[in-house]
Amino acid sequence: MKILKYNNIAGLFLLLITLVSCGSDEQPGESQLDYTQPEKTTLDNWITTNYLNPYNINVQYKWNQNTVDNNRFLFPPSLEKVQPALEIVQKIWLDSYKTIGGTDFVKKVAPREIVLVGGVNLNTVGTRTLGLAEGGQRVTLFETDYVNKQNRANIKEFLHTIQHEYIHILNQNKPFDEKSWAAITPAGYTASWHLYTDEESNEIGFITNYSRMNINEDFAEMASMMLINSKTEYAAILNGITSETAVANIKAKEALVVKYFKDAYNMDFYALRDEAEKNTNAVINN
Amino acid sequence: MKAKNILRYLVLIIISLQIGSCSSTDAEQKFDQTPTERLNAQKKELSDVLLTSEHGWKAVYFTDNTVLGGYTHLFKFAADGSVQMASDFDSDTKTYKSEYAVQTGSTVSLVFTTKNRIHLLSDSDNYPIELLRGKGYLGDFQFLYYGQENGEIIFKTNRNVQELRFVKATAEDWNNLPKHTDMEKNVVGADTRPLFRLLETNDGTAKHQFDFSFTQVTRFAEANSLETGFAMSYDMGIAYTENGIIVSPAVEVSKQKLSVFLYNATDGSFTATGTGGVTATIKYSTKPLIITEDYKTLLDGKPQMVLGYIAANLYTAPTTSNLCKTLLDKANATLPANQKISRVQIFFNSIYGNYIEYRFGGGRPSVYHNFTTSEDATNKTIILTHDSWDNGTAYIQAPAFLKELDDEFFNSKGLYIKKESFTITYSNPIWTITSATTNFRMTTYQLN
Repeated sequence: MKILKYNNIAGLFLLLITLVSCGSDEQPGESQLDYTQPEKTTLDNWITTNYLNPYNINVQYKWNQNTVDNNRFLFPPSLEKVQPALEIVQKIWLDSYKTIGGTDFVKKVAPREIVLVGGVNLNTVGTRTLGLAEGGQRVTLFETDYVNKQNRANIKEFLHTIQHEYIHILNQNKPFDEKSWAAITPAGYTASWHLYTDEESNEIGFITNYSRMNINEDFAEMASMMLINSKTEYAAILNGITSETAVANIKAKEALVVKYFKDAYNMDFYALRDEAEKNTNAVINN
Repeated sequence: MKAKNILRYLVLIIISLQIGSCSSTDAEQKFDQTPTERLNAQKKELSDVLLTSEHGWKAVYFTDNTVLGGYTHLFKFAADGSVQMASDFDSDTKTYKSEYAVQTGSTVSLVFTTKNRIHLLSDSDNYPIELLRGKGYLGDFQFLYYGQENGEIIFKTNRNVQELRFVKATAEDWNNLPKHTDMEKNVVGADTRPLFRLLETNDGTAKHQFDFSFTQVTRFAEANSLETGFAMSYDMGIAYTENGIIVSPAVEVSKQKLSVFLYNATDGSFTATGTGGVTATIKYSTKPLIITEDYKTLLDGKPQMVLGYIAANLYTAPTTSNLCKTLLDKANATLPANQKISRVQIFFNSIYGNYIEYRFGGGRPSVYHNFTTSEDATNKTIILTHDSWDNGTAYIQAPAFLKELDDEFFNSKGLYIKKESFTITYSNPIWTITSATTNFRMTTYQLN
C-alpha cells in the first residue's frame, strides 16, 4: 500500500514535469538574417536566362571565399570578361551536347555550379591548374580574364577544362570500362606526369602528359582532347607519333570512349566531336 | 535496502531535480543584443561608414613588410555596390570601376568581389621574386572589420590577419597618385646621383651609418650597420607618396618610430624627423661608406695581380655602374658587331710592368695601355699615371674610341679598390674599381 502511495506521488511529479514542460515558449519570430537578394544586374539576368533556367546551372563570378582555395593567390574575373567567357562555354560545350544528346541531357547530368576565377592558378612546381571539379557538383574555371575569342589555342585550352571536368561528371554517373582501360597502357601511369612532355607521353600511348596521372584522368583527357580538337587536328596528333604500338593503344582507348558514350548515354561520340568542331569554328569566326 | 526506502530516495531525487530545474537558466548577459543583432549592426555600420567620406578612402597596403613594400590604393564606394579604385601598383594610376560587398561570415568583412586594381597583388602568376612563385605579391582583398578609430576604419586581412587601416582620402590624394610613380624613380636613384647610399640615424647626440640598398621589384630596402661591433640592421618595405616615402616597419631611433620620410630634390635625400633632434636620413655619398686599404696590394713592389672585367659575366653585375656600362656601350658602338670589348684586364706588377689590356672578340687584336702607380694615402686611393700605348709589338697612338672609358682609370684623384665578399658565376674573388671623382665603377675577377 505504502509503495503504491509513493508511486502515486512520483507519478504526480512526473505528470507535473511533463505539463510544465509543455508550457508555451515564445515562438520564433522573423529571421534576423538578411535574406534580401542583391539587385540583379544585366549580367545576372543573362546568366539566369542562359544557364540557370535552361540547364539549372548557377554561375558564380563574384568572389566567394568559400568556393575557392584560400591558400592560393587568385582573384575574381573582370566584370566585362564574364559574359564572353560564358558565351563560349555555352556555344561549344552546352550547345554541342544539347544537339547530340538531347535538350535535357545536360540539365539532367551537369555540374550545378560553375565558379569563374579571373587569374592563373599557378602551382609551386610550375604547373597551372586549369580547372577543378568537386564531387560532380561544382566546376571551377580559372583564367577567365585571359579568354581570347580570336585565338584558337586559347579557346581550346579554356574549353579543355570544362570538357575534361564534364567527362568526370559523366563517369561519376555511369562508370566506364575501367578494367579494359587499365589493361591498355598499365605501365605508363605516374604522379610525376608533369616531368614529361605531351610528345613523350604520346609515344607510350597517352594523349597528353596529364593522362598519365591515372586511368580516370586518362579517360577524361582522351575524350576531352577529341572534343576540343577538330578531326584533322586529332589525326595530326596521331600522325606525329612514331611508335605504332602507341598509336594502336591510343586508338584502343578512343574505341572505349566511343563505346562508353554509346552504351551509357546512347550518343554518337563522333557526331558530338563534329558538332563541337562546328561550334568552335563558329565562335572563332564571329 | 528496502524497496520502500529506494522509492523514498527516488521521490526525493525527482523532487530535487524538479526544483533544481526550476532555477533560472538565463545566463548573465554581457551584451544588450544577440550575436546576430550585433553582427547585423556591425554590417550596417561598415556599409554606412564606407559611404561617408566625400573623396573616399586611402589604404597604404603593406602585404608583408618582411619581403615587400607598400601599395597605395584609393577607393570610392557607392551605395549600388560599385567601387571606383586607383592604385600605384604600376604606372597605370587611372581609376577603374568594379563591385564590392560587405559580407557577414564569422565576422563582418569588406570584399572586392570583381576584379580591380587591388587584385594585382593577388595574382599567383605575377610574382616579383622566385621566393613568391605562385603567391604574387601576397595580397588579400577581403578585409575583416575591426571597428573605427579617429575616423579611420580598422581592418585585418583575411589570410594573414594583418592590420590595414583605411583613412579618409582627399581630392589631392587622387590627383597626386601619378606622382607616386615619379617618387619611385627618386627612391631607385638617378644615374647622376653619387654611387653610394646610406641610411644615417641621429639619436640627438650620436650618428650611426648603415649601407642602404633598395630592390625596386619588391619595394623593399635593407640597411646594415657599417660599424664594427654595432650589429644593427633595418629592413623595411617602402611605399611611395607624392612627397616622399612611408616605411614599414618604422625605423626606430631612441625609441621613436620614424616612418614618414620627405624627399629633398636638391641632394636626393629622404629624411624622417622625430623630436629632440632625432632623425633618420637616406642619402648619397660620393665616397664608399667603408674605404678599404685593398689598393695597397696593387702598389709597386707587391706580387703580380690581375683584375679582369669579363663582359659575358660582369656587365650585368650589380656593382657595375651605369656610367661604366654606358662608356663600354659607347666604345663598342664604334666597333663591328662581332668585335666588341670582351675583357678589360689590368695587370699590376707583371714582368712587363703595369698595363691595361683591352681585349676584343672577332679576332681584333688587343691593345695595351702602360702606366705607373702611386698612392693617395690620405684618401686611400691608387692613382694610375699614363706611360704609353702599344699593340704587343710596337708603340701606338692612344685609340680614340677607348678614350672616354680609359680616362676613367686615369683620373687624377685615383681609384678606390675593394675586394668584395661575394662572387659571380665563378669562385674567383670579385674586386671593384671605383673612380674617386665620377660614378664609374667596374666589377672584375681576380685572375691570378
